[in-house]
Amino acid sequence: MKTEKSPKEHLKAHAESAASVVAALKDSPLPVIYVGAATCGLAAGALETIAGFEEALKDNGIEAEIRKVGCLGHCYAEPLVIIQNPGFPSLLYQKIGAGEAGILVRSFLKDGSDPCYEYLIGALEADENFPTLMDYPRYLYENRVVMEHCGLIDPKEVDHYLAVGGYESLAAGLEKGGAWVLDEVKAANLRGRGGAGFPAGKKWEIARGVEASSKMVICNGDEGDPGAYMDRTLLESNPHQVLEGLALAALAIGADRALLYIRAEYPLAVKIMEAAIIQAEAKNLLGENILGSDFSLAVTVFQGSGAFVCGEETALIESLSGRRGMPKVRPPYPAVSGFAELPTIINNVKTLSTVPSIIKNGAEWFHGIGTAESPGTAIFSVVGEVEYPGLVEVPMGVTLEHLVVDVCGGIKNGKELKAVQIGGPSGGCLPASLMETEIDFDSLKSVGAMMGSGGLVVMNEDTCMVEVARYFTDFTQGESCGKCTFCRIGTRHLREILQSITVGEGEMSDLDDLAEISEAVVAGSLCSLGKTAPNPVITTLRFFRDEYVAHIEEKRCPARMCRTLTAFYIDLEACARGCDACVACCPTEAIFTTSNRKKAIDQEKCVKCGECVYACPPEYDAVRRVSPPELIPDQGVEPLPVKENEEGDA
Amino acid sequence: MSAEMVTITVDDKEITAPAGSYLLPVCLENDIYIPNLCYVEGMEKPPASCRLCLVEIEGVKGPQVSCRSEIFAGMVVKTNSEEILKLRQIAFRLLVSTNDGSCRTCISNRSCELQQIAKFLKQPLKTKRLRHIDRDYPELIDDHPYLVYEPKKCLLCGRCVHVCSTIEKGYKLSFAKRGMDTIVSFFGSELDPASVDCQDCFACTEVCPVGSLSSKEKWKAFIAGLDKK
Amino acid sequence: MLDRILATLDESEKAAIDEEELAVLKAVADELLSVPQESLQLLPALQMIQTKHGYLPRLALRMVAEHLAVTIGNVYGIATFYNQFRFNPPGRNPIKVCLGTACHVKGGEIILENFERRLGIKENETSEDREYSLERVACIGCCALAPAVVVGEKVEAYVTPSKVEGIITEIEVRKEMAAREQEKNED
Ligand SMILES: Cc1cc2nc3c(=O)[nH]c(=O)nc-3n(C[C@H](O)[C@H](O)[C@H](O)COP(=O)(O)O)c2cc1C
Ligand code: SF4
Ligand code: SF4
Ligand code: SF4
Ligand code: SF4
Ligand code: FES
Ligand code: FES
Ligand code: FES
Repeated sequence: MKTEKSPKEHLKAHAESAASVVAALKDSPLPVIYVGAATCGLAAGALETIAGFEEALKDNGIEAEIRKVGCLGHCYAEPLVIIQNPGFPSLLYQKIGAGEAGILVRSFLKDGSDPCYEYLIGALEADENFPTLMDYPRYLYENRVVMEHCGLIDPKEVDHYLAVGGYESLAAGLEKGGAWVLDEVKAANLRGRGGAGFPAGKKWEIARGVEASSKMVICNGDEGDPGAYMDRTLLESNPHQVLEGLALAALAIGADRALLYIRAEYPLAVKIMEAAIIQAEAKNLLGENILGSDFSLAVTVFQGSGAFVCGEETALIESLSGRRGMPKVRPPYPAVSGFAELPTIINNVKTLSTVPSIIKNGAEWFHGIGTAESPGTAIFSVVGEVEYPGLVEVPMGVTLEHLVVDVCGGIKNGKELKAVQIGGPSGGCLPASLMETEIDFDSLKSVGAMMGSGGLVVMNEDTCMVEVARYFTDFTQGESCGKCTFCRIGTRHLREILQSITVGEGEMSDLDDLAEISEAVVAGSLCSLGKTAPNPVITTLRFFRDEYVAHIEEKRCPARMCRTLTAFYIDLEACARGCDACVACCPTEAIFTTSNRKKAIDQEKCVKCGECVYACPPEYDAVRRVSPPELIPDQGVEPLPVKENEEGDA
Repeated sequence: MSAEMVTITVDDKEITAPAGSYLLPVCLENDIYIPNLCYVEGMEKPPASCRLCLVEIEGVKGPQVSCRSEIFAGMVVKTNSEEILKLRQIAFRLLVSTNDGSCRTCISNRSCELQQIAKFLKQPLKTKRLRHIDRDYPELIDDHPYLVYEPKKCLLCGRCVHVCSTIEKGYKLSFAKRGMDTIVSFFGSELDPASVDCQDCFACTEVCPVGSLSSKEKWKAFIAGLDKK
Repeated sequence: MLDRILATLDESEKAAIDEEELAVLKAVADELLSVPQESLQLLPALQMIQTKHGYLPRLALRMVAEHLAVTIGNVYGIATFYNQFRFNPPGRNPIKVCLGTACHVKGGEIILENFERRLGIKENETSEDREYSLERVACIGCCALAPAVVVGEKVEAYVTPSKVEGIITEIEVRKEMAAREQEKNED
């Protein structure tokens, strides 16, 4: 119902009651235990942790509240727990399993004396007795705009979002109008975080300019990159921020319908978003006459069925419409003619999640972060061989070096950085020599990579670049929708060629074919899946050509990763007589005892899983990995003759 | 509603055509041949999937599909630049690399559009440059009452699916699966073919550029003729 | 609707439907009643069946086609386009090996191979006794714990070939115990 009260006044009532709800929790006389229970936390065992807490609380007769929260982004330290114990600052703990939960309850909650420093990361707020999070480079260098509240608020309670100023931007937008919202976003030069970096404001302006009976805004939560999960984290950890962004976008273009397209592989995100919509509608933050204004917005969730290509705008719309998710020729652009031929805006989860902060703080503030052409922050899921993998939000424009070394703790186990793969299947592999590259849309593009999905894999000398190219090409060719010739067949050829190189059957002419086909697939494909699919091939060919050549001419994999070109043997000098730590670990029983009671590997049986390398005790470290396999020295191995009684006895 | 007539230049030849119409059919009418496979006369929104009809348009970045490029006044088009010729050749090679290349025993031998395009592009029908990719399909699917489908010959151009969709009573033909496994269904769908709504109009077999989709009757007669030889 | 469709089948086709599948089909018939009859519901309807039953029985596709008044070719075309859908019932212990980027780099393929070898089935197959099924998935969001595997609902982190052995042994032991328990109860 439209009322006389202004949206801000409406919101004020909500915010006040939310503030008191949250204050009651913050000032609770009872301890409150927050457990990170987004998908990642659950995977690391958050449910066991919760059960551990519950049991220990019961056994010790302690009353405390347990709250499931979203994700802080510190995957390496999961399960993460924040304990708010009256008289102490809120403390963040890492790697808390059921056992540690019990100890925390007994030592910290029951006796109140020992905050268990051994599990502690730090205090959330400054405190003289505890290290604070800001003492850690990870927290110091990060600049959390979009992820500010992730893992700290309860995603299932709209009050928690309201209490940190949630929906204030929407109220402001409703008062000042859609055109103002559009102007702010345009002035901020917010570029799309879904990969291409197209300015959101420009897109919105087109849709706003089209006369239509109905318009639609879609939040793209398809996140198909096989190595990235920040969109899911945002949906699971701060759903109302996404909804507020969605509502602001709708306001800006004059849409009456909004939809969240979330892949079905993200059931928790779907559940949390659906619950959030219901809560927001109950408080009139969505739905009819939002906050008493004449703006109405119906929001629904649609589940994507697992096809990478459906992250592409036109394919996404096809799949929404109950058809096969095959991209269509643009123009017409969805902003002009999209779902049901209505003007349709599609934006990434991160893009929409950024909008509320822009409206709240203004375009100028936004330009204060990041670079001139790419203002704001970038969120990456940094995985692979770094000390502290996880989700990271840094200002645009920092260097790769800074991100990998300063923020994420550098390469694990003192190894050398070889390359980073940035942007997922459509991105590229950059060598260590390009680590000074700045992270923004244009700089990355200029060196052949892409912001893409924001997946970032850090690789050391043990990762083979040919194999990495093969992996991504295998992925994209499997995800090609099959519509157009270059992508459907071209990517398959790329994969076949790469495959044959990794098993030592490549020829030098293959390198020319790879380059030629890649170029053609880029130039000739219909949609960006095909147009970017060869990037991993093109960049590895450019920066790691010597590795290709080694595979082809010497049948050697320099990283000793390609299994056909690698072999394992046991150095008899180093192997300890009588030790058989490796024997049991071998899945194919390839390890046998030699005549002098040491161990050796039967090359016929070995499947090169590498397990024995880890099984061999570090004081002996006797298992060697070589490429090409011919490098196995002749150590004159003789198997120990089998004694007749040996088998029956055991 | 008649569109304004405009003049465009294609390979130095001046052509007058209605603004907003698609470039490919205009070129074809004016005896400028551009290879094409997925375009069907009168399509409202051509799928532009075969990518053979690429051309260069002055002022537009990168190669463009002519079947989906709208004509505007002063448009300057090149259909035979070096880059375009190369792209076409690669597209063609890619297409034939997945085909079984058994022209001699094919019902479309000599009337096949793929053969015509090969001739135009001066490309062999069996590529030596690329390895052959054997698609994981049966040789023949013949559980349809009126049609036979030889999937290994199919170029997935989609003409059959398109024309069938214009015939009354909903879609009978559609694509199934994805990527390299894409196939025209209901054939090979392992589903009961008895529920086919096919009108046996044979519009689909008529548009098939190759010998992939044929009328069962004609196909049987053809095979019988082959056996005799 | 189900009865009508069943009536069109010949004897051998009917015989191919076991009781379990028939039960699924009956449930699907009921569930479809709550789905609005418009073609936009095609994907949601298939998703509903997939989520509830773990696969799309052949005849369920026909039921969906009839319910939404679209052609069966259309339904089949869509069901086979998306990764989410399966056409065979899953095993009681579905095993999903992550082959997302991080897990791949950390040897996910080797883990998949070990499951294949240990279970005697290939990727996308179900063991004959319907105990196990095996498939690959893309990133499940625990890259920091790579390589990761999902067994049933549980995520196993840092999986190694010997852990594969352990996972299967654990399932077998649990099965054994349950069987014994049941025997005891019957006595
Ligand atoms: C193959 C392919 C997959 C894509 N996947 C996604 C995705 O998962 N999420 C996403 O937001 N954008 C994805 N995109 C980009 C979208 O097409 C679109 O550009 C984006 O959603 C626009 O939002 P933005 O401007 O906010 O980035 C994909 C593009 C392609 C070509
Ligand atoms: S480029 Fe690939 S995904 Fe895109 S339309 Fe062509 S075949 Fe489909
Ligand atoms: S690499 Fe694997 S298969 Fe080979 S010997 Fe070692 S443990 Fe056995
Ligand atoms: S014969 Fe006609 S109705 Fe039958 S499949 Fe071909 S085009 Fe469709
Ligand atoms: S059967 Fe013929 S018309 Fe149909 S897609 Fe294949 S090649 Fe094209
Ligand atoms: S801490 Fe949640 S994704 Fe890693
Ligand atoms: S005819 Fe233009 S792409 Fe096929
Ligand atoms: S790649 Fe396996 S969990 Fe992310």
